[in-house]
Amino acid sequence: MSDGDYDYLIKFLALGDSGVGKTTFLYQYTDAKFNSKFITTVGIDFREKRVVYKSNGPGGVSGRGQRIHLQLWDTAGQERFRSLTTAFFRDAMGFLLLFDLTSEQSFLNVRNWMSQLQMHAYCENPDIVLCGNKCDLTDQRAVKEEEAKELADKYGIPYFETSASSGQNVSQAVEVLLDLIMKRMERCVDKSWIPEGVMQSNGHSSTEQLSNSKDQGKCSC
Amino acid sequence: MGDKPLWEQIGTSFVQHYYQLFDTNRPQLESIYTEESCLTWEGEQFHGKTAIIQKISSLPFHKIAHSITAQDHQPTPDSCILSMVVGQLKADDDQVLGFHQSFLLKGFNNAWVCTNEVFRLALHNV
Repeated sequence: MSDGDYDYLIKFLALGDSGVGKTTFLYQYTDAKFNSKFITTVGIDFREKRVVYKSNGPGGVSGRGQRIHLQLWDTAGQERFRSLTTAFFRDAMGFLLLFDLTSEQSFLNVRNWMSQLQMHAYCENPDIVLCGNKCDLTDQRAVKEEEAKELADKYGIPYFETSASSGQNVSQAVEVLLDLIMKRMERCVDKSWIPEGVMQSNGHSSTEQLSNSKDQGKCSC
Repeated sequence: MGDKPLWEQIGTSFVQHYYQLFDTNRPQLESIYTEESCLTWEGEQFHGKTAIIQKISSLPFHKIAHSITAQDHQPTPDSCILSMVVGQLKADDDQVLGFHQSFLLKGFNNAWVCTNEVFRLALHNV
């Protein structure tokens, strides 16, 4: 899994209140396989997946698809004990912001997560996808789809109603986030706005990436 | 237990009592603090039993279990007891996390109270 046979390494971070289903969401996306690498001392957990990205926009890269090595980072529950610091957001490139459709409080806290992101992420308008999770629990729903859409529109980010337990819209949400990242990349010819180490061309293994990550993630944007 | 010094017996009993209450009924921890007690939780300061219990009781998990790996106790020159605990905890279904916690215990009206407490998760590189 960690061989260097890919075009780009991209890190996503799953955020949201405790119990909204971040871990299950990532677990579902990575084919429900428990190959996650626990880093207990770090308090962060990540899963990996290889995807092929084909640009569909005008002026995009044509020909063969780009081979993407996706790393999906989880908080390992540390947000229950401490507020997440700048370093935690490290060099994540895209963010999956989850709330629980059966918990109004988790929806209200989306605003707090957004301001945390705007403060701590690599730039003020990072790519984010909002996910209202647990949409399978229809009889316990506490947040209306229109309310959530309205909030997402206000922030100018896509919104999905997902179910980490059934898998509904899970891969769609991740794919849309990847699409946003790749589009952003195509817009920036010299790519100099990207924090070092976030976007990595072929030639580095993800283990090297990890051991180097302490020195990275500082960007000047 | 009998041949251990008194401060070590008191420290060990306190640690057992503290985590037993923490894991089963957090608001009951109120009995170990006074209005002068100080808690530093992940760098955040709380002063007085009300603020401390409010913080501890509002931590967002339904169930928690602590496992004590090691504990050390020392008598201080002013007859208090300094205790340090290293252990692991598991909140709901999250992965196990390491933690460090220190306590300063003081004899007060024929009982022991916790005047100072410091908590950190054992997280590095974050």
